[in-house]
Amino acid sequence: MKTSKWSPLIAWVSAILVIAVVLPLHGAKAKSSGSETSAAGWSVQVDQVNPGTLDLSYSFQVAIYENLVDELNKTKQFQQVFREGDHRASEVPGLLVLKTTVEKYTAGSETRRAVTTVSGATKLTVRSQLLTREGKVVLERTVNGDVRFFGSNLRATHNLARNIAKTLKESSWPDSPEPTALLSAQPRV
Amino acid sequence: MDRTVVPRNQRSTCRFHRRAGMRLLAALICCGLTVAAQNSTHQTASKPFSIRTTHLMGFESAKSNCTGTLSIQDDSLQFQQSGKSGAQIKIGSVQDVFLGDESKQVGGLPMTLGKAAAPFGGGRVVSLFAHKKYDLLTLEYVDSDGGIHGAIFQLDKGQGDVVKHELRARGVVSSREDQSKHSAAEVKYENK
Repeated sequence: MKTSKWSPLIAWVSAILVIAVVLPLHGAKAKSSGSETSAAGWSVQVDQVNPGTLDLSYSFQVAIYENLVDELNKTKQFQQVFREGDHRASEVPGLLVLKTTVEKYTAGSETRRAVTTVSGATKLTVRSQLLTREGKVVLERTVNGDVRFFGSNLRATHNLARNIAKTLKESSWPDSPEPTALLSAQPRV
Repeated sequence: MDRTVVPRNQRSTCRFHRRAGMRLLAALICCGLTVAAQNSTHQTASKPFSIRTTHLMGFESAKSNCTGTLSIQDDSLQFQQSGKSGAQIKIGSVQDVFLGDESKQVGGLPMTLGKAAAPFGGGRVVSLFAHKKYDLLTLEYVDSDGGIHGAIFQLDKGQGDVVKHELRARGVVSSREDQSKHSAAEVKYENK
């Protein structure tokens, strides 16, 4: 039987293609199924941003809060996303409260970014905590958000909210909204 | 001498009447001024008000980053994008109003692309001058379920104060001091 000299090469290329295409797909599937179960049954209430001791503009605080509500709704990770003060939240059985405290803020300048490219970045660092109604910390993370090149200063709040939502999605906490399951709280990263 | 002699007690009575008359007149003038002021305030409060603005985020169902008209009529605050139905809230639901300012590059995405494409760093020179100061009007209001919302509008410099004044005339309180340090820091950056 005559075999072409190209056959091994074709076989190798096909194998590499299969590995390159199938494995990431399988990984993504596993990852998405994992994140879907991580917050199953939970609802979240987003509290207003606490500026801490920093002199953070009120428009920034509001922008972080609004972007957080938007981003958490987009992830579809929680059954319901409530705003602070929403009286419907008190009737929901598995409710987590998301508290955001600003730890660091660097006021940037869009003009400076446009002129120099390397300086004038607006940077925000916040501490995000997920707590139960009883005040038990389920999750605590420090998240950054910034705008370095294009976009207005408020763009940093959008990036920050997206990072917080992403962090929550990638984190895991007890599947059931029963308070007893919450004793294994995750340490701060 | 034909001088009429007025008894002393009659003269003092006359003086007393004159003083009382003056006091009454002064009181009437004060009352008149107060009523006039109240009328003018009431007229200002009930007069419809509208202004061109850019909605950045958070106002009910309005699209983010779109330009439209922010209007105040009777007891409602409305934002209407040109040619589309508007979103509105009750002025009574507005809990706080805050005014800040921000310097932004003008021209949007087309200008940014143009500046990036300009040779010999010409875009950077353009950026140095192509910025404008805006007022950022931030409102905090509650929805029918009690949930807190925040809305941010971008207005031309100086117009934010007008809207804030209008809202305050209609009973909206402003518990926070207007932004000063943040903008000062930014100005400092830009002046370097």
